[in-house]
Amino acid sequence: MASRNRSKKSRSGGDEKLFLILVIALALVAGVGSWFAAAAFSRHDQLHGILPDKERTLGDFSLMDENGRTVTRAELDGKILVVSFLFTGCALTCPEVTKRMAEIQQLTATNADVRLVSLTVDPRSDTPPVLAKWGARFGADTNRWCFLTGSKTVLHGLIAKSFLVQDNSDPFNSMPGNFTGTERIAVVDRHGRTRIYFDGLRDETPAAVVAEIKKLRNEP
Amino acid sequence: MNRLRQIIFLGGLLLAIGCKREPSAPPSSAATNQTYSVRGVVQAIPPDHRHATIKHEAIPGYMAAMTMDFSVRDTNALASLAPGDEITFTLVVSTDDDWIENIQSTGKSATLTPAPTWHVVESELQVGDTLPDYEFTSETGRPVRFSDFRGRAVAFTFFFTSCPLPDYCPRMNKNFFETRKILLADSNAPMNWQLLSVSFDSGFDTPEVLTGYGKYYRGEDTNRWLFAVASSNTLASLAPKVDLNFWRENGSISHNLRTVVLDAGGKIFRQFDGNDWTPEQLGDAIRAAARTNAP
Repeated sequence: MASRNRSKKSRSGGDEKLFLILVIALALVAGVGSWFAAAAFSRHDQLHGILPDKERTLGDFSLMDENGRTVTRAELDGKILVVSFLFTGCALTCPEVTKRMAEIQQLTATNADVRLVSLTVDPRSDTPPVLAKWGARFGADTNRWCFLTGSKTVLHGLIAKSFLVQDNSDPFNSMPGNFTGTERIAVVDRHGRTRIYFDGLRDETPAAVVAEIKKLRNEP
Repeated sequence: MNRLRQIIFLGGLLLAIGCKREPSAPPSSAATNQTYSVRGVVQAIPPDHRHATIKHEAIPGYMAAMTMDFSVRDTNALASLAPGDEITFTLVVSTDDDWIENIQSTGKSATLTPAPTWHVVESELQVGDTLPDYEFTSETGRPVRFSDFRGRAVAFTFFFTSCPLPDYCPRMNKNFFETRKILLADSNAPMNWQLLSVSFDSGFDTPEVLTGYGKYYRGEDTNRWLFAVASSNTLASLAPKVDLNFWRENGSISHNLRTVVLDAGGKIFRQFDGNDWTPEQLGDAIRAAARTNAP
């Protein structure tokens, strides 16, 4: 009897323990969930985190697109621009970034106010036919997405003024022209202001760019 | 509510830390992954902390000693490291990726390779301009200069032996092979010409490596075609003159293609950009360059 009582007591004690374990387990599951949510949220934050180092606006330029047609800044005035940087000899970063650009092209297919622009840093190699081939490889719709080449001075000057920082310390460590942050995709507003960059190597970037475009469209 | 969220969050945090302390193999090193213990010296850590340039010792069964970039999965892994640190680390190679982990600092090294002097910005040369003389290390280990070939037309191109893209460096050297064949087979072709394949990867392309690579493309016949490697300082001056561009990204080198034909007096006679040219076109340019200015 005593032993049965003890066993009963211990069983009820066991139930309490089980309940406690369940509560702790649930708390932990919720905790892990919130941990991942916090981690995901901070990643999302980071995607919005690359602001220009200084006020940057789209400079004047006259360049050539992948068909050899002249493209000037005036043609892009009033559009929201999504801008990337490349050279076709670039084996790892540039194809990845161009894939993200292709996704952005798809996501903005119905947005007449959006243009995609890819600027080469190696114009002597990246002639219009070379860029046309590169664009075709990624399914570029050249009515909405242009690949610009031309004078190296003009291209490098435009990128340096409007988009990226140069670091002359070691050309092995930066894209031709000594540009850094070349994996970024830049978003330019309708007034020609470079507003924000997203990491072109991240899967979340196309959606983030689209969200940014929606935001910019609602601005006066 | 806030308090509860804090508690839940802290619970999660503790659990996460607990997971990290787990001494067993991390999930990233699954059984299918190959792991290698490696020693090396940190050369550079880009600000993004996603990878580090490390001069590493030979990795038996996997890789020769060289300087290259390794990526990390945990960007905090490089936080306490600086160039010059001697380290040990584990290289993990999966079927489609590789990265390093368990990075331990073991001391400071005196053998940090000094940064090359890159600050000279020199402008691009045009056809008709004289290319200054440059010295390379040839596949025999001896120095070789453009001026060693005065009186001959010289066609040179750039490559590195670890180049993974078939239509880049291999295409250049295959074209050189074909051009040489065409010119040697043509009894009317001038005799004063030379081919030179220049590697820009001085960290890896030693004379021994170049000899082996040369043999693959050239066979046993070394006639009129030499492989060589340019030092960083040579490249710093030569590359801008011919608009050669390269970028060390994630363990490989991305670069453009420049093939230059010098006439017998060392002037730039013709430049072939990219890979859309044929051995016949190069052969014609060499024939013409050898006849112009021939002493």
